[in-house]
Amino acid sequence: MSFLHPLALLGLAAAAIPALLHLLQRRTPPELEFPPLRYLSETERQSARRLKLRHLLLLLLRTALIVVIVLAAARPLVPVSGGGAHEPTALVVILDNSPSSGAVVDGHPVLDRLRVAARASIARTSAADRVWLLLADGVVRGGGREALLASADSVTPDWRRLDLAQAVERAARLVHAEPLPGREVHVLSDLQRTALATGRADVPRGVRILSLAPPRGRAAANRGIASASVAEGAVVVAVTGSDGGEPAPVTVRIGTREVGRALAARGEGAAVSVTLPPQRTGWWAGEALLEPDELRADDRRPFVWRVAPPARVAAGPGSGPFIGTALSVLRDARRVGEGRDVIVGDVPAGSTGRWVVQPPADPALLGQANRALAARGVPWRWSTPGTPGPLVSRDIEQIAGAQVTRRYRLEGTAGDSDVLATVNSEPWLVRAGDVVLLGSRLDTAWTALPAAPAFVPFVDALVNRVVAGAAAVGVAEGTPRVEFRVRGADTVGATVFGLDARESDLTPATPELVAAAFGPAALVLSDTRFAAERFAGTRRADASAILLALALLLAATELGVATLTR
Amino acid sequence: MPAATRVDLLDPADVARLGGIEIVAEGVVEGFLAGLHRSPFRGFSVEFTEHRAYQPGDELRYLDWRILARSDRLFVKQFEEETNLRAMILVDASRSMAWRGAPERLTKRAYADRLAAALALILLRQRDATGLVTFDEEVRQVIPARVKAGQWTRLVRGLLDTPDGRGTAAHAALQRLTALLARRGLVVLISDLLFDRELALAALRYLRHRGHQVIVFHLMDPAEVELAGPPEVRFTDPESPASVVVRPRELARAYAETVQREVAAWRTACRRHGIAYHHVQTDLPFGMALRLLT
Repeated sequence: MSFLHPLALLGLAAAAIPALLHLLQRRTPPELEFPPLRYLSETERQSARRLKLRHLLLLLLRTALIVVIVLAAARPLVPVSGGGAHEPTALVVILDNSPSSGAVVDGHPVLDRLRVAARASIARTSAADRVWLLLADGVVRGGGREALLASADSVTPDWRRLDLAQAVERAARLVHAEPLPGREVHVLSDLQRTALATGRADVPRGVRILSLAPPRGRAAANRGIASASVAEGAVVVAVTGSDGGEPAPVTVRIGTREVGRALAARGEGAAVSVTLPPQRTGWWAGEALLEPDELRADDRRPFVWRVAPPARVAAGPGSGPFIGTALSVLRDARRVGEGRDVIVGDVPAGSTGRWVVQPPADPALLGQANRALAARGVPWRWSTPGTPGPLVSRDIEQIAGAQVTRRYRLEGTAGDSDVLATVNSEPWLVRAGDVVLLGSRLDTAWTALPAAPAFVPFVDALVNRVVAGAAAVGVAEGTPRVEFRVRGADTVGATVFGLDARESDLTPATPELVAAAFGPAALVLSDTRFAAERFAGTRRADASAILLALALLLAATELGVATLTR
Repeated sequence: MPAATRVDLLDPADVARLGGIEIVAEGVVEGFLAGLHRSPFRGFSVEFTEHRAYQPGDELRYLDWRILARSDRLFVKQFEEETNLRAMILVDASRSMAWRGAPERLTKRAYADRLAAALALILLRQRDATGLVTFDEEVRQVIPARVKAGQWTRLVRGLLDTPDGRGTAAHAALQRLTALLARRGLVVLISDLLFDRELALAALRYLRHRGHQVIVFHLMDPAEVELAGPPEVRFTDPESPASVVVRPRELARAYAETVQREVAAWRTACRRHGIAYHHVQTDLPFGMALRLLT
């Protein structure tokens, strides 16, 4: 029990007034002669027990009356199971407006149901509460109730995916930091199993996690395009989605022109390949489409590719056998041609031409090679031998994880933007103008890369794209679109935006999975029970009216006892 | 005399302001007798029994003139007893009798004196021998019953000369009175009866046994009947060191019941032994108190 005006409880000291008055009144009674004292003594003797009880009863009634009135003035809040106000509470409402919330199930958008519940949670708050609204964009919105209601009303499905476990942990920490009696996190989500499959929220004690349960019934079947990438003149479209989906027809378009169709098989992980028509040199964009279903957001995904003539490559002195072999393979596949546009070697010669340079096998030549680099104006040089480690690269995905056993540290004055791959956080592959520097020789004595399947694609990327300054096609989460990166007048790369493929799986999480993600104390509740449990931990009703009624009853009883028992 | 101006029906305190006991008593008796058609004590004095034939020497005043007129024969009226009644009035002069519950009322003693004086005047006017005894712990005044002239004045003087006593040991005084009242007659006790009931009744029973007719006037101030006072008060007994602290409002009802029980007990005990008992409050007009005897 708590009180709205706890200072009023100081008035409880007044409860001693009846007892004090009783004691004070007894001290100096006036003295009067009364001849029939024998009648009086007899009366008192006969009434002594009754009077004692009466005095005790009156004392208790008057003391209780004061106590009850003081308690009523303090406005006590008592726990109630339904209705009533609640104690000041820190609340985070997680409204999961990730792309899957845009699904329409049984004719009703999922987000509408979530929004109604979020609105009810916010509307039930009072001025004494601290409330935040957390959406799929990850921004925690604070402010007044009306502002948050307006935010909830204006929410639309976002293109960003929400990691629910992470969001719940964030929200729990936020409310836990507030010095308020109540701490709750309301999770209003479609509870996709894919949103809970990773991670587990570390929820502090005392924070209640209430989650709205998914509607009963079978999960909505949905197919979505997980990815669309171009390779070898064809676009490969991966289709994903909820179990039980029918075979999905995939349409590929370039601009407004349909260039192919294919039927993706049922089940997860299905992929189709659609051959693209030959295009002129340059960057091209297209899109893969599915028939409309419950979730429209994942029915379209753009893709982009670059059409360029094969680089004319020559193996320079000291290039080694592995490079020679790789170039031979690429030449057979018409990925490179004969010529000296790009030279792969260990000591760059001349001041022009594109070079892919690896350190010389003989350490005695390292100084000469560094001087040659300096002469070309390359701000990088080979330094002391570095420690072994795996390769890390975001630009050239094929080589990530390959082991490097021998290398030279690359030292330079240029920024990190030239670093394309690292080993132990030290540059291993850098680009400076027309020169690309490797920290290791492409030899199995230095790195396992030449023995890996990714070696030939790596060499392909080096000579056709990296040394030319063109970046790879990036993939990012966002509104389906293509953004090109330009350097001067040249387009050097592109990023394809689309929604996270996991959003296509509308299968709700099982209670066990929710418990594993949010903690065993989390409650997954139907709409009705969610409404009942909202603020239930701190729900209080003002008991002052009841106490005042009790005070009236006590006063009436006191009056009755005082008059009727004379 | 119109009822509105009859002294016997006025408030006792107002009547007392008219003058001394003699004046008050005479006024009360005049008014009282004027309101009656017959003497209240007729049965005690002269009681007609039968007629007999006139014989020479009989007093002519006892001739029955009506029979003579109807039958032309002479008869005289004969009475059972022609001697005067001997009445003794016992007035309690104890300390408790000197109390009144309000300044505008008479003390019980003052009321008793005036009631006794009026009663004595009535009796003496009927030629009944009337005496007076005042007592508290001891017998203070004894005026033997006489019917001679000036007796009433002596009785009044006896009342005035008796100061307020201290305690009350009525049974001792009453026992002594039994020895004084050798010849049977009427005994009127005027007291607040604040003494041991059984002992007092034993003395009164003895008087009855000796053939006396006994009348008891139980005087109480209205404040003794209905308990009132400050919220909390220490009441002390004027005749003893006893005291008790009470809240009058709490005990009022129970006290009234106790008083009623006490009065009922006195009335029952007196009736059982042939004693006339009258409960009189000191705000009762004297005439009304005297009328209780009729």
